[in-house]
Amino acid sequence: MLKFFRRNLAGYAFLSPWLIGFFLLAIGPILASLYLSFTKYNVVRPPQWIGIDNYVYMVEYDQRFWKALQVTFNFVVVSVPLKLIFALGVAMALDKGIRAIGWYRALFYLPSILGGSIAVAILWRQLFNYDGVINSVLGLFGIAGPYWLADPNYSLWTLIVLAMWQFGSPMLIFLAGLRAIPQELYEAAEIDAASPVKKFFAITVPLLAPVIFFNLVLQMIEAFKSFSGAFIISGGSGAPLDSLLFFTVYLYNEAFSFLRMGYASALAWVLLLIIALFTAIAFWTSKYWVHYENERG
Amino acid sequence: MSRLTRRTFLGAASSVAALAAMGRPAFAQGAQIRHFWWGNPDRDKRTFAVIDMFNGTHPDITVSGETLGFDDYFTKLTTQIAGGNMPDVIQQGYGVLFEYIANGAVVPLDEYIGKSLDISKIDQSAIDAGTVDGKFYALSIGANSHMAIYNTRLFEEAGIVPGETFDPYGYTYDELAEFAAVIKQATGVAGTDDNTADYQNFSDFVGQKGALLFNEDGSYGATQEIVEEYWSTWEKIRNAGGTPPAQETAGLAGVAELSQQGIVTGKSAMTYLWSNQLVGVQGLVEDTLGAAMYPNTPDMIPGSIVQPSQFICLTRDSVDPVAATTYMSAFVNDLDMTEVLGLERGIPSQSDVRDALEAKLTPAEAVSVAFFDGIQGKTAALEPPPPSGANEIEQTFERIAVGVLLGERSIPEVASDFLNQARAILARA
Repeated sequence: MLKFFRRNLAGYAFLSPWLIGFFLLAIGPILASLYLSFTKYNVVRPPQWIGIDNYVYMVEYDQRFWKALQVTFNFVVVSVPLKLIFALGVAMALDKGIRAIGWYRALFYLPSILGGSIAVAILWRQLFNYDGVINSVLGLFGIAGPYWLADPNYSLWTLIVLAMWQFGSPMLIFLAGLRAIPQELYEAAEIDAASPVKKFFAITVPLLAPVIFFNLVLQMIEAFKSFSGAFIISGGSGAPLDSLLFFTVYLYNEAFSFLRMGYASALAWVLLLIIALFTAIAFWTSKYWVHYENERG
Repeated sequence: MSRLTRRTFLGAASSVAALAAMGRPAFAQGAQIRHFWWGNPDRDKRTFAVIDMFNGTHPDITVSGETLGFDDYFTKLTTQIAGGNMPDVIQQGYGVLFEYIANGAVVPLDEYIGKSLDISKIDQSAIDAGTVDGKFYALSIGANSHMAIYNTRLFEEAGIVPGETFDPYGYTYDELAEFAAVIKQATGVAGTDDNTADYQNFSDFVGQKGALLFNEDGSYGATQEIVEEYWSTWEKIRNAGGTPPAQETAGLAGVAELSQQGIVTGKSAMTYLWSNQLVGVQGLVEDTLGAAMYPNTPDMIPGSIVQPSQFICLTRDSVDPVAATTYMSAFVNDLDMTEVLGLERGIPSQSDVRDALEAKLTPAEAVSVAFFDGIQGKTAALEPPPPSGANEIEQTFERIAVGVLLGERSIPEVASDFLNQARAILARA
């Protein structure tokens, strides 16, 4: 054992900045938040152990908890497929040898870098204001646009569009996946006079399945955790009428507006469990639709 | 851990400095004081100028300023409490102050009075407002009240003359409905902001109906009838055409920034704020602004209160309370510094400061002073400090009232929903 360590000492030494960071800045706070989730803690006074009361209150009495879950689910269920379809479409368009493809890739990836920023969320708010750009453009066609941000029937859609706009990273991964599909398959299909639709569903989708699965899991987790857009656009409160009350926004409110750190920690753990559950479901169903080339069929 | 280390270090450093400088005032050599406030561009400019003046006249103390908008201020303060690194001097409002005192984040000032802190010229009422259980915690910066701020040009164009067709200190909601519609017709600008989701206006209305916001026993004081009547009153004004469209108002519910207020964006001729904000708003618009009280019911029972606009407080984490209180003392007493601060944080609570300012008022400040003269005898008594959860009830009101604006549910339904939630919040706090 000692010998093993001595032999690998250099490796651990080089790893140590990351290891120290991981234990102090990740594992430490995670364990602390698990402990705090069983306490009543208002930051100023020391935490007070109350057992599972936070969790009981959440499930039995807290209407806004259920509302936040519902909003978040709606967002995940609608935005993730739309974003993936959009990303795949753009990737397929770029896959055809266009000139200056490097430029296009960079250009289409840009929103993913900018998209999570506060500045873009503020810009989004300006775009979708009642007298903002979107409604002005609609006005040119004689359409009176709605109050996108003040009407609970529309507000979530503005965020779904914002999420779709950040399609860059799944798009790049799709692009790599498309490049890996052997061209001979398409040529063979060509000889059999298969239609483009047929080629898409018989060749592209099955061979791309592992990449689709990877993107799906990644984007789903991302969507569950989504925060800054909803926070900025709703003015931090989930308004109007809690239609933008994302789970993370609610958690933030409980923690920082109402100083209920213990309860907010419990909310964070529930979110973690929900994400874990959905990821597990995705992995479990994947064996029915995702096939890897090196598997025996 | 890091706090302890830093404190111990500073403690040691200051005793060394004290030994080295026997006979000098008992400040640590180069005491570092942090002052944190929520502000707006105008206030920030004044406060930073005051900090520079103080640093110039006190070579052994260095004050540094930190500022944020109101919405983010308390978030940052919360993380600082948790981290044990609150600034030495913080700004507090009447609403949340008492939670900070009860939780020990803000410490009493009594041991510094007469030494580093001079309160001999501060109004007794302001001292009382900052006193809890016989201990003095909070130094009032100025007095404040609710104020309706109106655009005098638009009023004039609609032929509404203050003092003749409009009594700024005694108009009713019915009169407001009338002249708001007249202004809309004459100028195309809505006569008034829509206060359906404005808790300040609602709390005044509760007083005007002869009730308390919180009863003596801490229970919520507004009744189903009062909440329904409040929303119906504003519905009447809205239906008469005097406000911006309901959905536009819904989009602004709970937004505190001055730049978003109807009178600044040009969407309405009258906006409802705190009286000290008049100076800040006037800095954002070209037209001259006028001041009025909030509207009343025909019974004319006072609902507005005069209360300290803001306090400055000493925090639990202060590294040098003597230097910090020296700065706080200058902030409210030093005539050069208070001249720069002006009336932006309300009417000062120190009599000499008031007298000195009187001669040099800007037009907007003169309007503020005239307003304070005008409301004498028309305001209600200051209620006891609000209980824990009051802040959450306020946000719940702003959130739920949007349902009234969008007309998705009936007023009685939304009202009983709000009251149920208010009671639940108090039970949980």
